[in-house]
Amino acid sequence: MFGALYAAEGTDQTVLESVAREFSPRIEVCGPREITLDLSGLARLFGDARTIAHELRRTAADRGLQVRVAIAGTRTAARLFAHYRAGLTVVEPGAEADALSELPLSLLGELINPQSQIPNPEPFTTHHQPPTITLRQWGLRTLGEFAALPADEIAARLGAAGVEWQRVARGEDRRPLVATVAEEQFEQTLELEWPIEGLEPLSFVLGRLMEPLCAHLERRARGAAVLYVRLHLVTRAVHERSLQLPAPMHDARTLRTLALLDLESHPPEAAVDRITVAVDPTPGRVMQFSLLTRPLPSPDHLSTLAARLAALMGEGRCGSAEPVDSWRPGAFAMKPFAPRDAGVRHSDKPRRHDDAEFEHVECLRDSAPPRPVVALRRFRAPVPARVREEDGRPVRVWIERSGVGGGRVANAAGPWRTSGAWWDPQSWDRDEWDVALHDGVSYRLFRERRAEAHSAKADRWFVEGVVD
Amino acid sequence: MANNALARIETALRERKLDRTLTTALAPLDRSDASAFIPSGVEAIDAVLRGGLPRGQVSEIAGSPSSGRTTLLLQLLGAATQGEIAALVDTCDRFDVASAAAAAIDLDRLLWIRGETGPPERVVDRAIKALTLVLQAGGFALVAIDLADVHPRVLRSLPFTTWLRLQRIVEGSDTVCLLVTPEPLARSAGGLTVMCTGQTRWESHRVTGLATEIRVVSPRRRVDGNARMTAVANDY
Repeated sequence: MFGALYAAEGTDQTVLESVAREFSPRIEVCGPREITLDLSGLARLFGDARTIAHELRRTAADRGLQVRVAIAGTRTAARLFAHYRAGLTVVEPGAEADALSELPLSLLGELINPQSQIPNPEPFTTHHQPPTITLRQWGLRTLGEFAALPADEIAARLGAAGVEWQRVARGEDRRPLVATVAEEQFEQTLELEWPIEGLEPLSFVLGRLMEPLCAHLERRARGAAVLYVRLHLVTRAVHERSLQLPAPMHDARTLRTLALLDLESHPPEAAVDRITVAVDPTPGRVMQFSLLTRPLPSPDHLSTLAARLAALMGEGRCGSAEPVDSWRPGAFAMKPFAPRDAGVRHSDKPRRHDDAEFEHVECLRDSAPPRPVVALRRFRAPVPARVREEDGRPVRVWIERSGVGGGRVANAAGPWRTSGAWWDPQSWDRDEWDVALHDGVSYRLFRERRAEAHSAKADRWFVEGVVD
Repeated sequence: MANNALARIETALRERKLDRTLTTALAPLDRSDASAFIPSGVEAIDAVLRGGLPRGQVSEIAGSPSSGRTTLLLQLLGAATQGEIAALVDTCDRFDVASAAAAAIDLDRLLWIRGETGPPERVVDRAIKALTLVLQAGGFALVAIDLADVHPRVLRSLPFTTWLRLQRIVEGSDTVCLLVTPEPLARSAGGLTVMCTGQTRWESHRVTGLATEIRVVSPRRRVDGNARMTAVANDY
């Protein structure tokens, strides 16, 4: 026995869902204001189907909802009646086809709700609108007239989709009820008896909240992907922080440490009288270690280290470097440090055009360079310098920074002109030189050719780095 | 009588649980175990180092600007990031990503900690704290701190207990702690000092590479010798 609830416009779906769950644990959300229920076994609690329908409507009314209630032997029949008729409708099991026979054909279209963000509960109709126009052209007006047509003739004219719609017109279910699982909340809140200030007392409270939260995650085989900490202040403001975690984790101590390190950098402005900790759950990760290589530190470990380093050195100062697709000298990007599992290393060679899925997997030893390559120690902000030139070549360098020497040029290579990003305000246009001074130190210099507005940077010399 | 005195001393130490610290020696380094070292990837250097830099020790690379110390550092980072992870505390933010990519460093496996500008003493203090955090976290094959551009006066003013503390942290672990300094500064008893002197090589007004003479020094001359490293210029 199945029931269908169809609520008025503007109904709060969560309230409707809570009403349905009071009667049955197996419910399916069919639309923004439509729910079907499996009412098997409720007869022992409430009695006959009409009593159950009355109870459903009364409970919904107590919550301020106006609903249509229909009970029938099939979900499809219950839904059709809920859409058609206001109030209560009860159809004896087995009599669905006869009861539906007088209902208009337009009801078939109401089972599809294109505005709904919930997947269509009738999968076969996802791409097929009911052939209502065609059926009207044939002179049909009711579900009974459509149901009475021979199935093979319907198949020949309207295809398999037409046959399916005919079964719906008879009130037949094409699939069993797929229960909608209630969204589980992973959240803990604590109201404090008196406001607290400072991180130390907050640490104890966070620990107390994290323990049951992590236990809940562990029971569900979930990890936290995002951690939310909401501090309700005595000033009625809410200080909210969210931490994106590098890997799913459910260790209370690690989560507490990460939250505290973040609050250390972003402390609340007033005392706290209520704390809420919540997480976005995600399936736990499956880890498989290699017997041939050393294991990497766990993501919990690394994320705690990254948080401590960020608190010490500043945000964005720690992580992995990433080359960017740019010819700009020294271009790079920073990303969070998240090493891949140990094992083979995938090469950066471009994929072959004839096989996009093919990847080169190289032996670890084969990827080492054949010879060492000269390294550059790059000044992140180029150091201004003065250069005396003869015949277009630098002969003497004065560097305007203490601790960085200058002197007479023993050897010079250049110029190599480089420019780019002309469309960008941060374009570059320079002539680069490698110079070796008499004291043995080699520098990479460049002369800026681009004149900036309100700046005398054109034809200025800079030291880009030290060859070391 | 001497044996009785020794036995009574050992009993007293054991009662105060000092016997492990003062009477238990660490196992000697097994030089036949290749996994006890981190190689540089340069045959000549690894031959002099007899395998590479020893794990669980503090070693150093010292040299003047353009001596090849950064090239050698990147070589070691490249070798360390093959299968393991490494960290670089870049005190003065001098790390060049293009040079690192040319040295075949797996950048995804290198934790780069960038220092900020400011008073040298504060910058070095933060760098040392970051180094301590990384060493305490463990799990890294090589943790290097680049102090090459810090004035030797500032480095000499650091208390010697700084290096002793670092040594205690890495002792017995699988981590190599490497200092890159302008002059020899500190190393642990089992660590190595690698002195670099180098010269840029030129051909027809063009830089073709960097020739570095490397001298390895260790306590009691266990590992001692010279090597040469020739690096080619990178078109970056």
